[in-house]
Amino acid sequence: MADLGRAALIVSFGLALWALAAGITGAMANRRRLVDSARNALIACFVSTFIASAILASALVRHDYTFVYAASHTSHDLPTLYSLSAFWGGQEGSLLLWLLILTGYAALSVTLNKRLLRDLIAWTVPVFAGVATFFSFILVAVSSPFVTQSRAVDGAGLTPSLQNPYMVAHPPMLYLGYVGLTVPFAFAAGALLARQADERWLIATRRWTLAAWMFLGFGQLLGSHWAYVEVGWGGYYAWDPVENAALMPWLAATAFLHSVMIQERKGMLKIWNVVLVALAFELSVFGTFLTRSGVINSIHSFARSSIGPWFLVFVCATAIFSTWLILSRLPLLRARTKLESALSREATFLYNNLLLVALCLTILWGVLFPVLTQAFLGESKTIGRPYYDFFLRAFGLPLLLLMGIGPLIAWRRASVRSLIATLRWPISVALTAGVVLLILGAGSSIPGIIAYTFCAFVLTTIVVEVVRGTRATGSLTELVGRNRRRYGGYVVHFAIVLFAIGVAGSSAYGSTKEQLLLPGQTMSVAGYNVTYKNLEVEKGPTSSETRAVMTFTGRSTGTLRSGTNAYFADGSSSREVGIHTNWLRAEDLYVIFDQKQGEGVYFKVLVKPLVNLLWVAGIVFIIGSMVALWPDAREQKRLVARLALARA
Amino acid sequence: MALAIAMLLAVFLLYTAVVGNSTPVLQPSNLAGHTGTVSLTGEVIGPVAGESHTTGLTFGLRDISGKSQTIPINFHGSVPDLFKVGRHVNLTGAMKNGTFVATDMTTKCPSKYTTTNGS
Amino acid sequence: MISLALGAILAALAVLLTALPFIQHADDLDAPLDGPTPEQERRIAVIEERDRALAALKELEFDHRTGKIDDTDYRELVGPLRRTAAEALRIIDEGSAKE
Repeated sequence: MADLGRAALIVSFGLALWALAAGITGAMANRRRLVDSARNALIACFVSTFIASAILASALVRHDYTFVYAASHTSHDLPTLYSLSAFWGGQEGSLLLWLLILTGYAALSVTLNKRLLRDLIAWTVPVFAGVATFFSFILVAVSSPFVTQSRAVDGAGLTPSLQNPYMVAHPPMLYLGYVGLTVPFAFAAGALLARQADERWLIATRRWTLAAWMFLGFGQLLGSHWAYVEVGWGGYYAWDPVENAALMPWLAATAFLHSVMIQERKGMLKIWNVVLVALAFELSVFGTFLTRSGVINSIHSFARSSIGPWFLVFVCATAIFSTWLILSRLPLLRARTKLESALSREATFLYNNLLLVALCLTILWGVLFPVLTQAFLGESKTIGRPYYDFFLRAFGLPLLLLMGIGPLIAWRRASVRSLIATLRWPISVALTAGVVLLILGAGSSIPGIIAYTFCAFVLTTIVVEVVRGTRATGSLTELVGRNRRRYGGYVVHFAIVLFAIGVAGSSAYGSTKEQLLLPGQTMSVAGYNVTYKNLEVEKGPTSSETRAVMTFTGRSTGTLRSGTNAYFADGSSSREVGIHTNWLRAEDLYVIFDQKQGEGVYFKVLVKPLVNLLWVAGIVFIIGSMVALWPDAREQKRLVARLALARA
Repeated sequence: MALAIAMLLAVFLLYTAVVGNSTPVLQPSNLAGHTGTVSLTGEVIGPVAGESHTTGLTFGLRDISGKSQTIPINFHGSVPDLFKVGRHVNLTGAMKNGTFVATDMTTKCPSKYTTTNGS
Repeated sequence: MISLALGAILAALAVLLTALPFIQHADDLDAPLDGPTPEQERRIAVIEERDRALAALKELEFDHRTGKIDDTDYRELVGPLRRTAAEALRIIDEGSAKE
């Protein structure tokens, strides 16, 4: 079967190459049959990639160890679900997943838009095909998932840390996000190549961008939750380059989702929007490169990775292509309208964009810093957490404030008088909240209290907006139905506020204590008295499980177990933290079993106030995104009507 | 105009923050001459002895390439799950009387999926 | 052997699918793409302009109704918007009348 897999990938490569060549020729020479042929090839490319993926998936589930990939990522005792998740447990499979999702997105988005955007699709297909050519080439020539060997007795198994429900869902989510950002890029590039500066591509890809953005955001949150529950150091985000790799395109896409509204309303910022789309795509390829090449852990492993140099070439090639394309189409993109006032909805969108892009670029700078200092100073240097935390505050807090001002400020031009009148309520609520929190003792952290005041401001804004709108239209459903994107957006804003409250609470107001406890001894942390009762050792299916039984009293009472697992397979161990969630305060009591010392155990106990709002925010985020991206037939009809009118 | 000002501000902030916070990333072979806090990457060499919460955990560290002398390490703090002889670790600390005293240790990031043959 | 045969079938199907447009439309040798002409592009731009102005008017109306914009600001803003919309509508009508 491996032969068939290899053949399917070669067919994919051939089809992608044909779609690229025939697509370019057809679009340049204005030949419909060539263009249609290229489009068919792209769709067929998805089918053959799907066949290749199905073969790999079945080999993994059947534990067919003649596949080197199956032998090195599964074992007989591995449950079926985790065997399947081994698909993205290694490099070759991840690349295949990339190609599968890419061609899937391409086939679907091209088919759905083929009538309305025929002239753009002619150029969109070769852009998709170019990316698919690269990935299928890598899969065929450099890093094949279908390498075979003589049958082995048992496989090497999947790394214990990946045998986890989160690791089943988290990577595909991220890939759906990363790869999804290719859709707006391909359509934007298609529009530019076709020299069509109208907004058809924007309307056609808006939901795709939103969906990709939603997957990327949710995928990251899943990763954070995994780190929090499984990795067991008490945090959920470490500014690790791999994490940043996903955050950067998400920020760029967030900026795009906002600035796109100005183009729709005012016909402005056309250049900026294409730049953002290209940036988001570029960062997502760069992110894949970072995660896959190993540049980040140590720059020395750079040369050792077989796909690193290829990816670097691809990142550079797409960057040069995008830059050339945008520069050569500048006259086409010039706006005829100007910003009327620095005090308007447009202007707040602009500030929001600057802050998001600035945040994105400072993170990029941090990620690249070790590589750059190595290249220019001869000695690699890193910048750590304080750098990122500083910029998160410097750019994040103003963003939070804008989120409150933006919805209430008028388009075009707002007078200071009316602005004060509309902001009267949010400002007074925010100030009251700030004073109350100060009295309650939240002043121990300045950024924390600022964040909370801003959060109160944004929340009031949202409430005021929805209440006023409902009053004007008569019912909430009618209000939301009028402009789902806006009210879905407010729900997402609400999610961001919850998120900000969670981040500020758990980082600025958390407590940590480390102590050696003998059985029966108690330590107290932030209102909890934690007692170490006894130690239990059990033999589990794959590991020996050591658990300390703890009881706690204080803010809430109960028992929890914290310990370590020692895996039989490779002798590795992992900490299994004990978490008690106090839902009344959305707070976690988080106990890490650090080390055994004779009869006693070193425990690290953390109290994380409000941390659970992060996970609640994830659900709200999904709901808001869904409201905003649910298909709306009216838009399509409007596009058709426009085209018909233009041709009348 | 506002755009330009914002950009300038961003660059300025960037500059001040970067100068303040960077740590050199070294391997045991090029550690000599650095007295301040550095980040040291290398391979763990046995024997591992001591207790990380009291006297400190002691072990050796050499370049990942294997071609350097071994530097004695004294580590205080929480030992990561994946720590063992032969692993590649990253330590933060400073040289004190010929021993590298470290307070923070990370092993190779688990997000790089190929753990056995990837390094 | 079976794998190879299946692979060959897959390749043949791929070739067939890509050749399909040439087989189906064998008669018209160089059917051009059906993109908008430069004149139509200009009209699309004007229509977008019109839709934008109308949407902005609707929005302004709504903002005024919800109290986000007071009467003074409303009167000041509504005039230019109406003119833009009317101008775009006039161009579109002229274009249609010409043809």
